[in-house]
Amino acid sequence: MATRVSATLLLLIFFCTGIALAQDSLRRSLVDFDCVACPPADALARLSRQTGVNIAFNTTIFQDCPPVSLAVRQEPLETVVGKIAACARPSYRWNADQVVLFRKIERYTLSGYIKDAETGERLIGAGVRVRGAGAVTNEFGFFSMELEGGGYRVVVTCLGYQSDALLLDLDSERMLIFDLKPNTALPEVVISAPTTAESNGGQTGGQHNLPFSATHGVPMPGGEADLLRMAAFQPGVQTGVDGLGGLHVRGGNADQNLFLLDDVPVYNPSHALGLFSVYNPATISSARLWKGDFPARYGGRTASVIDVRTRDGNLHKRNVELSAGLFAASATVEGPIKRDTSSFLISGRATYLGPWIDFFSKRENLLAFSGDNITYRFYDANVKLNYLFSEKSRVYLSYYQGGDVFRNRFAQRFDNLEGRLTDQYSLGSEWGNSIAALRWNYLLKNNLFTNTTVRFSRFFYESQLTLLSTFLGASGRESLVANYGQIYQTLIEDLSLKTDFSYFPKNNLDVRWGFSYTLHAFQPGALSVNFLVPGQSPVTIDSLSNSLRNNERLGADESELYAEVDWRFGKHWSLEAGLNFASFQVRNNVFRAPQPRLRLQFGGNTDWRAWAGYHRSAQFLHQIGSFNISLPFELWVPTTARVPPEHVWQASAGVGLRRSGWNVQVEGYYKRLERVLAFLSTSTALFTGGAEDASGWEDRIAAGTGLAYGLEAIVEKQFSSTSVNLVYAWSRSERQFPEINSGRVFPFRFDRRHDFKITVEQRLAPWLDITLAWVYATGNPITLSGVKYQHHTPNGEIERNVFVYTDVNGYRLPPYHRLDAALNAHFGAGRFQHAVQLGVYNAYNRFNPFFLYVDSGSGTNAKAIQYTLLPFVPSFRYSLKF
Amino acid sequence: MPKPAILTLILALLSAFGCVREADIDLPDLPTRIVALSHFTVGKPIQVEVSLSQKLTDAGDPVVPFNADVSIAVGGQFLDKLFRVTGDDGRFFWQSRDLVQVGTEYSLGVRIGGFETVEAVSYAPKHIPISEMRIDTGQMRVTDLDDGRRVLRVPLEIQLATLPNQRRYFAFALRHEIESFEVINGEPIPDEYYDVQTKFLADGRTLALVYDTPEQVVLINENYWGDGRAALVLDAIVPFDPTHERPRRIFVEWRTLSEEFYRYHLSLARQGNNLPLNDPDALYNNIIGGLGNFSGYSVSEKSVVIPNTF
Repeated sequence: MATRVSATLLLLIFFCTGIALAQDSLRRSLVDFDCVACPPADALARLSRQTGVNIAFNTTIFQDCPPVSLAVRQEPLETVVGKIAACARPSYRWNADQVVLFRKIERYTLSGYIKDAETGERLIGAGVRVRGAGAVTNEFGFFSMELEGGGYRVVVTCLGYQSDALLLDLDSERMLIFDLKPNTALPEVVISAPTTAESNGGQTGGQHNLPFSATHGVPMPGGEADLLRMAAFQPGVQTGVDGLGGLHVRGGNADQNLFLLDDVPVYNPSHALGLFSVYNPATISSARLWKGDFPARYGGRTASVIDVRTRDGNLHKRNVELSAGLFAASATVEGPIKRDTSSFLISGRATYLGPWIDFFSKRENLLAFSGDNITYRFYDANVKLNYLFSEKSRVYLSYYQGGDVFRNRFAQRFDNLEGRLTDQYSLGSEWGNSIAALRWNYLLKNNLFTNTTVRFSRFFYESQLTLLSTFLGASGRESLVANYGQIYQTLIEDLSLKTDFSYFPKNNLDVRWGFSYTLHAFQPGALSVNFLVPGQSPVTIDSLSNSLRNNERLGADESELYAEVDWRFGKHWSLEAGLNFASFQVRNNVFRAPQPRLRLQFGGNTDWRAWAGYHRSAQFLHQIGSFNISLPFELWVPTTARVPPEHVWQASAGVGLRRSGWNVQVEGYYKRLERVLAFLSTSTALFTGGAEDASGWEDRIAAGTGLAYGLEAIVEKQFSSTSVNLVYAWSRSERQFPEINSGRVFPFRFDRRHDFKITVEQRLAPWLDITLAWVYATGNPITLSGVKYQHHTPNGEIERNVFVYTDVNGYRLPPYHRLDAALNAHFGAGRFQHAVQLGVYNAYNRFNPFFLYVDSGSGTNAKAIQYTLLPFVPSFRYSLKF
Repeated sequence: MPKPAILTLILALLSAFGCVREADIDLPDLPTRIVALSHFTVGKPIQVEVSLSQKLTDAGDPVVPFNADVSIAVGGQFLDKLFRVTGDDGRFFWQSRDLVQVGTEYSLGVRIGGFETVEAVSYAPKHIPISEMRIDTGQMRVTDLDDGRRVLRVPLEIQLATLPNQRRYFAFALRHEIESFEVINGEPIPDEYYDVQTKFLADGRTLALVYDTPEQVVLINENYWGDGRAALVLDAIVPFDPTHERPRRIFVEWRTLSEEFYRYHLSLARQGNNLPLNDPDALYNNIIGGLGNFSGYSVSEKSVVIPNTF
């Protein structure tokens, strides 16, 4: 037995040795070979025929290889084959009479940043495509993908920039920096219509990139470009009339939108009660809107996310941009601190709306003000600094401070035979946001990106009212009748830490995870009223302020943990799945909310796309107020044991087609507000003769449910010099509270059945274009009384007219519609770039009702008075860049 | 809420950009209906005011239909046909002969030719009286005014006998008694006594949850008791002239309300004062086929002597 085994082994050794010798001789056989500009596959085929050696390979491994030219004399076959196939760097298997070329699968990470060639700013949402794979840059301009080793043609694209391509021999981990040149043939004013639903990254349905640069081309009141007005051009996004009243997304409340500025929550995103937003267009780098299916990394709100990132500042040269419109002006300076290493951006914006208000209010004498002295202004200041330690490490510091200030002093006089009563009023309100973020980007590995942010956000509102009432008798003696003062403050302040990880293990798989911890501090408002009895020491606003500032603040802490994956599978499918787990602690009560997010998409490189998504979200912060539109003084309050968190889920699905310059999308959604809150306001507490503060807010909140569903469509067509954009939404939104409307279902205040918007842009010349936008929407529902009766006191006096409001929001205002037009010109001379916009807002002067007020009068017939906010308003803006 | 400042800003913005104009709008077209208003209590006859509703744009007094047929039934059985009475102020109302009994459910019927007959049901609930009323003497404060008068601040705690688990529907009214005196030979000689409605202060939560009503009582939101509170705590504000006046007593009228009374006045309070941009709630209405309110309540009064420590 042992002998047989030994013999077998010996034979095997001889056999193997023979094979090895045969392979060796084949490799060393000398050949002559000539070839000029031959594709490698052809060259190998010729070599095979010439030598009679079978050379086996798959042609795809030479797919991206350039032709080769070769002239060799008496060189080993192995060397010649190697020279021809060098580009593909194959592995070889030599047999006795053949050689097999094959690609040994080595995978490498290709990562890097895409930057603006002129400014050095990193570009968000730029696309990187290679054969069979692609990636999109994240919020910091970073991309990463894992590829097989070999030759690639890397194509980089970004909206508004010239594409770039690069031939790359990927034989190791590579990090690339792409500098894209701005597409000067497409100046800012011609970037496609404001309702562009898809751009970089291929967003569909509930996800939109907001083309912030298009804001410059769209007619807006006073010529003041505004991002949130652009957002309102998206289907399913509504504002109150002419922008007042907050943003309402798919039937959600205004406080259910998460506004982010450099990843920091903004609690009041508007100026002038909503006419303008706090986002200064000169500072914006990118803006994205999610109306649903928002990724798991976003939490804390239930209706939408608007994620706005500011520019970093030019790393190469100093730039100045000046802009002035009818109502506001801005100035922006940016440039390198140390070239290519650090930069700054400083921008300021201020309004001169005050004199307009002062002038017109005196003309209109709207409130019968006597001796009016109205001042109003808003301002924004943005500062951003960044420092590049290396391509792997960078820090950013961004700061925003903005606010509104309103003051009014007026007097009312009432004369009778006994003398003159004079009431002198002094009103003042001030509110604003302070926002800061310190961020550190670090590339742990070529496919593992981290971002850590320390965030601060503060919103405050304060108002004061004093009344000094005196009586001048016929005898000439003046006496004090009343001295009255009130002050109201509300504050929310956040300090948080957030860390995000982005991991790109495969080119078809992106993974993100992270956590955040936020310390909230609330001062849910305080109002003191002092009726001063004649002769008593006057109460001053200062003394009220001091006492209020001593109020104890309410604290809460909120934690979030999330993970999400973006998995692209098959040829056309992708799945985004994630989970956000939030925890909120206040007054020793802990609330937890797991929030799954899911989105399945079909599309890839086909013309057709289809998608479906589901998400659940919870909200622990609530804004409450007694007006039916969102106003800045409303209280931000936390979830407590008696104020439950809001819960919402939404399912949506849609299809889209992009072909021959057409882009068509249709999406439907169904949204359940499983718990939504409303504030039950009364106005009588003020008149009980005492002081009110907001400590009773928990008892005045009602919890109910809501339902919203609708269908949204976008049709876009790009002609040679014309682009047309059409948006339509059919929707229904309703609420039900046990304590409101006798428990019956009623329409949501911003329920609008039809919402239609069309925008047409026509290029008239390379430097001149015109934009027309027409908007139509079903009128808002309001609560209106139809009949009245008198309710007498027990002693027979007419206590009040009782207005019979039959159903909450049971009456619809007339439809809202308007036409806006703008003519945009831009021209340059040397390094100076000029842009001028002339336009009109509400061109045919439609009197869209802002609200109706039924003045029951006293002794005369009642009148319905319609208030219109923005009739025909001309707009003008001039911008200069150098 | 700082409505004056915000309203002014809104109106200022309107004046800067916007316009105000009278608008012809189609107000909700509701037919004229019978309005019946009655709040009744134990031991007194039921009094019902009857009128017709008006369009919102109508001026002047509402029509009072003198030919109204107003009746009361109990348990589906006719009880009384109310007779028309002219009050001291010249207004008409319809009054029952029977007196209201606690817990009895009364059905009201009002018939007027040409109008839909209206009906309503309510009762006077079993009363939950005040068990104790205390003045925190140590916290009483007196403020001297420049004109020689004084303001006395009287901390008052009103405790109920029992607090039900549900239907915590209560209202109250405060008044105080002033003794007016003359000083004769250095001695104050009481001259007369008179009652004055008393204003009050309280903590913010309390003030946010109480509402003035046309009935001249203050309605307490049922949520007030949801915070583990079993007493109403407030400061009565009593001004007086020390040269010839002296505060003597504080009276509290305490009402236990039927749900119809409570809901109606709560919805009235939530209508605000008809300010623009307010969201008024729908009016609670238990008059089937008509408008108004038919509701009962029970009432008692308790007083406490103001200590003469000032």
